[in-house]
Amino acid sequence: MVKEKKIPLVDYKLCMACRVCITACPFSCLEADKTDIDSYRKAYPALVRPETCTGCGICAKSCPIDVIIMVS
Amino acid sequence: MRGYMGKILVVDLTAGTCEVEPVPDSVYEKVLSGVGLGAWYLTKNIPAGADPLGPLNILGFTSGLLTGTGSVMTGRWMVVCKSPLTGGWGDSNCGGNLSPAIKQCGVDAIFIRGQASEPVYLYVDNKGAEIRPAEKYWGLDAIEAEKALIHDNWNKKKPAAAVIGPAGEKLSLISGISNDLGRYAARSGVGAVMGSKKLKGIALAGTKLVKAHDVDGLKALSKEYANKIRKANAPGILKGALMPVLGKVMGSMKSVSPIDGMMTSMLLKKWGSIMNNTMSVKNGDAPFKNWGGSDKDYGRKYYKSLNPDKFIAREEQKYHCYSCIVGCGGICKIGDLKDGRYPHTHKPEYETAMCFGGLLMNRDTDSIFYINEVCNRAGLDTISVGGTVAFAIECYENGILTETDTGGLKLSWGKASEIVALVEKIAARELGIGDLLADGVKKAAEKIGRGSEKFAIHAGGQELPMHDPKIDPMLGTTYSTDPTPGRHTTSGGLYYTTSSLWEKVSWLPPFRKYSKSEEYEPTEVETMKNVAYTAFKMIVDGTGGCYYAMLMGVRHFKIFEFLNCATGWNKSPDEYIEIGRRMQTLRQQFNAKQKVDMASFKMHDRAIGIPPLEKGHNKGLSLKIDEHIRLYRKCWGWDEETGYPLESTLEEMGINGLLNEGVLNG
Repeated sequence: MVKEKKIPLVDYKLCMACRVCITACPFSCLEADKTDIDSYRKAYPALVRPETCTGCGICAKSCPIDVIIMVS
Repeated sequence: MRGYMGKILVVDLTAGTCEVEPVPDSVYEKVLSGVGLGAWYLTKNIPAGADPLGPLNILGFTSGLLTGTGSVMTGRWMVVCKSPLTGGWGDSNCGGNLSPAIKQCGVDAIFIRGQASEPVYLYVDNKGAEIRPAEKYWGLDAIEAEKALIHDNWNKKKPAAAVIGPAGEKLSLISGISNDLGRYAARSGVGAVMGSKKLKGIALAGTKLVKAHDVDGLKALSKEYANKIRKANAPGILKGALMPVLGKVMGSMKSVSPIDGMMTSMLLKKWGSIMNNTMSVKNGDAPFKNWGGSDKDYGRKYYKSLNPDKFIAREEQKYHCYSCIVGCGGICKIGDLKDGRYPHTHKPEYETAMCFGGLLMNRDTDSIFYINEVCNRAGLDTISVGGTVAFAIECYENGILTETDTGGLKLSWGKASEIVALVEKIAARELGIGDLLADGVKKAAEKIGRGSEKFAIHAGGQELPMHDPKIDPMLGTTYSTDPTPGRHTTSGGLYYTTSSLWEKVSWLPPFRKYSKSEEYEPTEVETMKNVAYTAFKMIVDGTGGCYYAMLMGVRHFKIFEFLNCATGWNKSPDEYIEIGRRMQTLRQQFNAKQKVDMASFKMHDRAIGIPPLEKGHNKGLSLKIDEHIRLYRKCWGWDEETGYPLESTLEEMGINGLLNEGVLNG
């Protein structure tokens, strides 16, 4: 049976744009690329290389405030 | 599982070797990681009298004990070395993204020994470390070099890189080390040390995990802190034009009360450190005209150029360092300046704005943005460059430098075109005036002579930051006694009022409202506040903590609790402060071993208030600096005359034993 691949989903209402998930990703799938979230024009993490994401979940585990979940 | 990796990477560029060495747990428990680990390794291994630009100096890149553990606001890295600028202990602290990258390579620090014969860079990933040729990067500016290093070494994991620019290559003593395209470890002349080793950069692509004792506890603390920061937003009514008014109110206060540090977070979120610009003009914090002028010289028609709203008008997006939940930085567009030579620059910090604003009587905002990028690309410390340009202008005005000396530049206060041209000459270390000034004011004055030293404003060779100690004697004592003199981040009276340290440290007296004039009297009570805050700063520098988080105070930035969760040590704040005291004394012991003349660290008379200013906010103010210095040393257990730690203090703090721990390499 093939295990379903999961990818990170960021809760932008709570994310603080701290970039910990971006640094933690072993394959550099995430970048601070999403700038349309708030009036401060902060750059939030976005999955810019989904093809290299293995669904390992390291990004979610590393998030200091637990605002990333892994979804199918 | 104590937050640290328990190992260091030692690279010998002369021998061409890279070795990973274990570090005893007891070292971390006594001096943490970061600057403490660096002070431990360097004090052990750099022989007395080593040439700062020679092969016996050691350059260390250290991460923080809390970096990567689940704590927030703890992602800073520190460079350590023997400083070529002061001749003593050198360190410099930086944000960006290098600190976690060091730990992801499986070590807490990378120490570079020896000297390469040709330009090299260091590459490290999970498989190990390798010294590689760097001819193709040598000569590139810091921004282009970092981009190229990352591009060429990006396999699975995008590397984090730290580099020097051409200024570091040319051994400018006021050069720094950059990461994240212009975030600088700028002070102490660390760039020149890297240049002397012919090390253009380091590229780190490890993916190892950092393990902590209680991750859930760390995250709970981070969430609590994040909730407070999320809600801290400046009201819309607060515009930049109001900041001088706020500064004037602050500056007129005759008494001192505790301040809730969370207030600073809303201002930092809105503006970043430039929130201070015009506020500092009016509250006595900012120096003017090479420390010889006052706010009366820099009136509204000048200071409106430093309105923070004017600065963020160029900001395209906010910038966060690793693990930062505030985001005080910004990426600014400057493509309209100088024929679009540079598209972007990091938002100038307060220090840069004031160094190239009030200190030079400049009111051309665009020139400050442009100079910021010139310095970032060359790899220069903007504080030292600003101070050096101010020195040159005053020498020119007094006939000590002439148009012939300056290569045709007609220097004068506030003349932006000449200031920009002079900075470009320093950045290029252009033969003549550029070369003369590229090592800072002390060296320049030694070469020029003819009375120029009275215009060379520094402490122990390091140009002073943009905070006038005449309104903050604790700050002035730090400028004149810290192992790295002339530094504004180590301690200060205003910082103490926001720290809420007295709520955690049992031996500190409860904060009572007191008269500002009490700070000017050298007393043990005031001095012990300085000791406590400095020790706190050492803890912050041992953990990778952010200076602005520190300003929010331990009530909000729960660094002691973070440390206990990460390490499982379960120490009290008092015990951590003892660790901080040990770290500071170890930094000072480095200077003792190097036989640094600590008397030379006393700041310039203008900063002391000799003679006092005759007008402006700081009119008549003068510090009893010698008495402050003596009392400060006494309270640390250092010799009151030489400044060196007493043998009894070294024994009591276990420093002699500590220096015998681990593998001896010296």
